[in-house]
Amino acid sequence: MTSTLTSHAPAHTSGGGALRRLNFVTALIGGVLFGVLAWWLAHTFLDAGGAGYSDQVTVLTGCGWVVGFLLGIGALTGPGKWFTGRDQTHADEMYLAGKDLGRKRYFQYTTDHKVVGVQYIFATMALLGTGGILAMGIRTNLLTPGNHFVNQQVYNGFLGVHGMLMILGLIVAVAGPWANFVLPIQVGARDMAFPRLNALSLWTLVAAIPLLLGSLAIGAMDMGWVTQAPIANQAGIGFDLFAMSIITFTISTTVAGVNTICTVLTMRTKGMTMERLPIFAWASIFAAGLGLYAFPFFLVVMSLNLADRMVGTSFFVASGGGTGWLQENLFWLMGHPEVYVILLPAVGAMLEIASVFSRKPLFSYRTVIGGMAGLCGLSALVWAHHMFTTGWAPTLGGPFMLTTELISIPTGVIFLVMLGTIWRGNIWMRLPMVWVFGFIANFIVGGITGIYLSDIPVDNQMHGTMFVVAHFHYVFVGSVLFGAIAALCYWFPKVTGRYLDEKMGRISFWLVFIGTHVTFLAMFVSGMRGMPRRYSSYSMLFEHTNFVSTIGAYMIMAGMLVLLGAFIVSWRSGEPSGPNPWNAKSLEWMVPTPVPLENFEVLPVITSDPYTYGEA
Amino acid sequence: MSDNQNKKSSLHILFWIWVVLTVVGILVAIYGIPWLMPASASNTMHMSILTMVVFTVAAAPVAALVYSVVLFALAKWRYRGEGTPPDGPPIRGNNVTTSVWLVASTVLTVFLLIWGLALLASDATGEAKSEMTVNVTGQQWIWSFQYPGTSVSSHDLYIPVNTDVKFDVTSKDVVHGFWIVQMGIKINANPDEITTTSVTATKTGTFDIRCTEICGLNHAFMVTHVHVLTKKNFEHWLATQPATI
Ligand code: HEM
Ligand SMILES: [Cu+2]
Ligand SMILES: [Cu+2]
Repeated sequence: MTSTLTSHAPAHTSGGGALRRLNFVTALIGGVLFGVLAWWLAHTFLDAGGAGYSDQVTVLTGCGWVVGFLLGIGALTGPGKWFTGRDQTHADEMYLAGKDLGRKRYFQYTTDHKVVGVQYIFATMALLGTGGILAMGIRTNLLTPGNHFVNQQVYNGFLGVHGMLMILGLIVAVAGPWANFVLPIQVGARDMAFPRLNALSLWTLVAAIPLLLGSLAIGAMDMGWVTQAPIANQAGIGFDLFAMSIITFTISTTVAGVNTICTVLTMRTKGMTMERLPIFAWASIFAAGLGLYAFPFFLVVMSLNLADRMVGTSFFVASGGGTGWLQENLFWLMGHPEVYVILLPAVGAMLEIASVFSRKPLFSYRTVIGGMAGLCGLSALVWAHHMFTTGWAPTLGGPFMLTTELISIPTGVIFLVMLGTIWRGNIWMRLPMVWVFGFIANFIVGGITGIYLSDIPVDNQMHGTMFVVAHFHYVFVGSVLFGAIAALCYWFPKVTGRYLDEKMGRISFWLVFIGTHVTFLAMFVSGMRGMPRRYSSYSMLFEHTNFVSTIGAYMIMAGMLVLLGAFIVSWRSGEPSGPNPWNAKSLEWMVPTPVPLENFEVLPVITSDPYTYGEA
Repeated sequence: MSDNQNKKSSLHILFWIWVVLTVVGILVAIYGIPWLMPASASNTMHMSILTMVVFTVAAAPVAALVYSVVLFALAKWRYRGEGTPPDGPPIRGNNVTTSVWLVASTVLTVFLLIWGLALLASDATGEAKSEMTVNVTGQQWIWSFQYPGTSVSSHDLYIPVNTDVKFDVTSKDVVHGFWIVQMGIKINANPDEITTTSVTATKTGTFDIRCTEICGLNHAFMVTHVHVLTKKNFEHWLATQPATI
């Protein structure tokens, strides 16, 4: 059902039942209630003597939490009404979209894509913030060789949950806020293709976060973020919540991915052909599509792992006829495409920024689309480069080395387009562009060290060491996080009507930029000198480089805190920006700020792409 | 100066920045990497270090190009006025640049591939000629080594120098990673599976073995040593060990 602003239905009205009384608080209450109920039922009716009993109880409790939370937020009122033959009235739709609700709408099951985008900003901050705190715990433990900031058990839990929080956080860091807030406006739509599913994806993600944190609290997990079997089978019941969190998360990303793709494919305004789409829209649908391929493996690998624990199957247990290599294959079938699911939206956003702040058209639009397609295609074929030293299928080493090294060609295309766009531009070094330059400098290091690791003789030395950790942090922190911050600085004025504070933003940039190099260059050296990863303690040999890495990590943390400060201060009292502070040309800058409900009074007609700088 | 001349002379500068950065990169590759890596105790390790050097040399011009354009853009193309800068030249692509870029990156990639595959092939032929086998067992959190044909087992590894040794690796509980740090070999120890790797030590001495897969609480302490002895000393060591199995 579609609805328009020019409706004659009364704006307020009608009793409207449960819908109007549900919010974040009722969701929490519902989650806890159903969690306790499920726990009690499981406790009462399951065979307490049976193998896997405590895992069954924990998983069912997790399920109860998710269902109760979604009920409590109101995710199921719409389907419920439809099921009983009463579709929602227009007033209900308007209420759902958050009309006239003011701030309250941010704490509700709201369908307006802009509200969902803002909610995603805060969900991302929660994920990256808690992940960051755990990172500080890890680095503090590694400050000096014999340091015991936390005990080994807690340390191992920190490792796994830090990794997973950051992975989930980065998957949504750009796609969550901006493919929701900006993308529909960019393509000239009044909302996402499926507004209610949009709210569903957000609140499913929110439901997954406490599960992940809860897993740390009940703990005893030694399996790292890759949840390798059989060590994951030995882990305490924390692992059950950990896996439930991921299963919930994959539902969220699947719903979100379908929505993103449908929005771009079907909701474009008149004249917005695929060749005129902003590059961020292309990046978003590539990432979403790749996610639709990758995340089912995530769901499957976690489910099989739970099955092994709960009901005694042996998918991953060699003595029972399964194999741990199956777990590793399934995990990396997800794991490698996932790194591009994370990377692509950030790159898309930064290409927009590069064009706007160089005052030049995007260099070679078609080449970069080809490059992104190449990245997606190849990234599905390289997963075993994470398994070179596992002993699985040594004869496939050569082919996987081939596919992995081929990826550097489309990766190079991203650099070509980035540099080509900057080339001879009039470069405006405002905050978003500062972070883009940081990205370029960092990504080259991450990319090149990736090529070393794809070479099997080198990987035989480097796999499982701090060198790998430094490699992917150069990509995740140095590239994706920088891109996410660039995107935040770029679109912040559209969300709030204010600039993100330039001065604090620059202080934050230098702290994070220098901190990243200090931390991870030293970490490369730790790895080269022979320090394995996931060590809670190490010999004197690695003393200096670890000390340096920890200091660098504190710098990153300080920089992120400054950024958080800038975010809060600017949101409340930053310099007003007007609707189009960067004089950009894509549609999101053509609508007023704050963006009205349903975005456009009259849908625009498009005659060119948004990169007509200098073409008048 | 005409606009054209200006453009030319400034690209000159860009070129020299690129040359300087490339040279720096190559120097770091040739001197820095071998200095940072452990001294090699096998040909396998020697080839890994060499590969890192070669790849860094090959990557140096690429990274230098990116950094020089970035530095040049910041110095030369940065807009220093107030407000939004005027529009730049509407360059929507350049087929020559794009083609050169694609061809160059393909050539580089193919070179790296051939290098890697050749190395891999030479490694594979090495495996056939193994002269002795050691059974390696990981368990939380110790390594055990058993010498087939004898009843000797040990927690430190002993092998003879200049002998191709094959390792049959397995685990009693979870996955561990068997890594001889200075010899550049690594293979996971999986429960109920046997994986193999092999190496020829080229130096006598004592080297490090560390576990590279997280295996529980004491993962960081699952370390031991390999003692590379002369063949004579190794025979002697083996003969004087008490039978432990
Ligand atoms: C696009 C950005 C990239 C991201 C986000 C990324 C991420 C990662 C991650 C998370 C790992 C570690 C997995 C683990 O052991 O836990 C990893 C390892 C690896 N990466 Fe990347 N990577 C990126 C780019 C590249 C590129 C461009 C290449 C090669 C051309 C590459 C090659 C590798 C290889 C071979 C490994 C396996 C190392 C090992 O575990 O032994 N990566 N990468
Ligand atoms: Cu990968
Ligand atoms: Cu271990």
